[in-house]
Amino acid sequence: MTLPGGVHAETYQQDRALIRTRWQWLWFAGFVAVLLLLPFIGIGKAVGIATVVGITLIAVLGLQLTSGCAGQINMGQSAFMGVGAYATGALAANLHWSFLLTIPIGGISAAVFGAVFGLAALRIKGFYLALTTIAAQFIFTFAMLKLPKEWFGQSEGLRLDPAALGSFAFDTDNRIYYLVLAAAALMTYGAWGLMRSRTGRAFIAVRDNDNAAEVIGINVFYYKTLAFFIGAFYAGIAGALWAYYVRYVQADQFTLWLSVWYLGMLIVGGMGSILGAIIGTVVIRLLQELITVVGPQVADVLPALGGQFVFAAMNMLLGGLIIVFVIFEPRGLVHRWNIVKESYRIWPFPH
Amino acid sequence: MLSLLSYVANGALTGLLYALIAMSFVIIYRSARVFNFAQGEIVIVGAFLVWTFMSAFDLPVWVSVPLALLSSLLLGVLIERLILRPLVGEELFAFVMVTIGLLIFIRGVVLVAWGPEVRFFPAVLPMAAVKVGPLVFDRALVIGGAVTLVVAAAASWFFNRTQLGLEMTAVAEDHQIALSLGISVKRSIAVAWGISGLLSTLAAIIFLNGKGMTFLASDIGFAALPVALLAGLESIGGVVLGGLIVGIAVGLAAYFLDPIFHGGVAAVFPFVIMVIILLIRPTGLFGWKTIERI
Repeated sequence: MTLPGGVHAETYQQDRALIRTRWQWLWFAGFVAVLLLLPFIGIGKAVGIATVVGITLIAVLGLQLTSGCAGQINMGQSAFMGVGAYATGALAANLHWSFLLTIPIGGISAAVFGAVFGLAALRIKGFYLALTTIAAQFIFTFAMLKLPKEWFGQSEGLRLDPAALGSFAFDTDNRIYYLVLAAAALMTYGAWGLMRSRTGRAFIAVRDNDNAAEVIGINVFYYKTLAFFIGAFYAGIAGALWAYYVRYVQADQFTLWLSVWYLGMLIVGGMGSILGAIIGTVVIRLLQELITVVGPQVADVLPALGGQFVFAAMNMLLGGLIIVFVIFEPRGLVHRWNIVKESYRIWPFPH
Repeated sequence: MLSLLSYVANGALTGLLYALIAMSFVIIYRSARVFNFAQGEIVIVGAFLVWTFMSAFDLPVWVSVPLALLSSLLLGVLIERLILRPLVGEELFAFVMVTIGLLIFIRGVVLVAWGPEVRFFPAVLPMAAVKVGPLVFDRALVIGGAVTLVVAAAASWFFNRTQLGLEMTAVAEDHQIALSLGISVKRSIAVAWGISGLLSTLAAIIFLNGKGMTFLASDIGFAALPVALLAGLESIGGVVLGGLIVGIAVGLAAYFLDPIFHGGVAAVFPFVIMVIILLIRPTGLFGWKTIERI
């Protein structure tokens, strides 16, 4: 990876910097400003969409750490998210704890649940592991519908009061947007830092060749479990935010399909890259919104397609995208973006 | 006591149906080392094909069932040719993802082509219940159980006695060695996908005979996973035993645990079995390879 022209690190601080040039600062400041001002400049459903993107992004980042970086296929991310949502929901609805406590607890409980299923990764690899996480999904749904009604409300689910700090309640779309934005920014920063740290490097080593990783002194058991723990923690935080956003938690919200959507976002964005997770989430979410808007109009013009056209088109889009990307561009959109960036930086030379 | 016996016997028959679907997993896995997550969707496509030929086109049974079997065979070959072959030599994650992508894609196609309404699946097999002494069985399941046994025997014979079958068994053991012996790996994989498509439609007929169906019936693909795993993913004959064990275990679980959990145990118990198998003996009962672990 080439650095921008004229940038040479002279100190370790400079070498570690995430943002190196004045222009990058400018772009970054502009981006942050847009995110902060979105409720004032956004039109229509922009804020709502951005909130959902933020929550999804957190879950997908977790999946990126488990599957993309540490190479442990995880098809239970939405179950982990559900555990976080239920833990938060139960504490908030039954015990009325503050969201400052319930959201981290939601994250931790999802992380523990995820790590338990991740323990299977110590014995099995590859798609056998994928099967375990699928089982996690079914067991989660069953457990949530069967555990005592006083805890999780069974099929009625849980209803939450809005998150509140003293008399200030996050009860409007704009307020919850800022809460999600703050959480998403923090979690993204955390994931970015993690990938640059010793832990992130160990994840990559385990993914690329776990025998070799063991030989050079990486505790493979520990890092595989840790990958599940951290990935599920992200899912739990996302679930907790979801609980406060929708203010209703029910097992049907967390299906195997959601996990598959998350994996699809990773594939489209690019495996193993934090930026890839962001690109994938945003692109797929926007495509989904596009279909929700355009779909009914198409269905109006061609009534033969029927009312289910939106749902069907969504499936065909996601399935088609996954297949096309796996076959033609397994490294995802972020790889394309890197190629463009690279050729811009070294222009006019070809390489 | 009598109802316990009935739970066990019906569980065993359902298990045999799962075994048939598990067999279509196993046949693909043996040749291609690909685990086809989209199997349940292929079952549903097969079911809708039968429905189209019989109910929409009004063809007689003896035309429409062979037609549907043939089309699902072609579908299997087509999927292999278009989607799986470009990926030969890729890492495992690509195969997992591409079959998942396929699952979602086929679901979308099924929704567009046949819609979400409940369709009434034609009664290809006789509907009247079978009574053995005091026990009552679904006749389609009884016939299905027999079909499973016959298919398993035929498949064992095919893979152990015929030229093509032995070649495919060689491919199952090692692609490179098979190649160096002059066996066409590509052809073996294509044949495996074809057979698997055909078995899926057969399973669909038994499973849905005379019942209402929607695209959601494809969940049976996931329910058959534990059977394939218990048998070991390479064993054709093993799936029959695996199916019986899982079916009876689920029947017993439903009998003893349903009163405690107020129903629904039968849906989740196969996955509990699956986790237990994966943790204790991931190779299953008759699998070949010790699973790589570290």
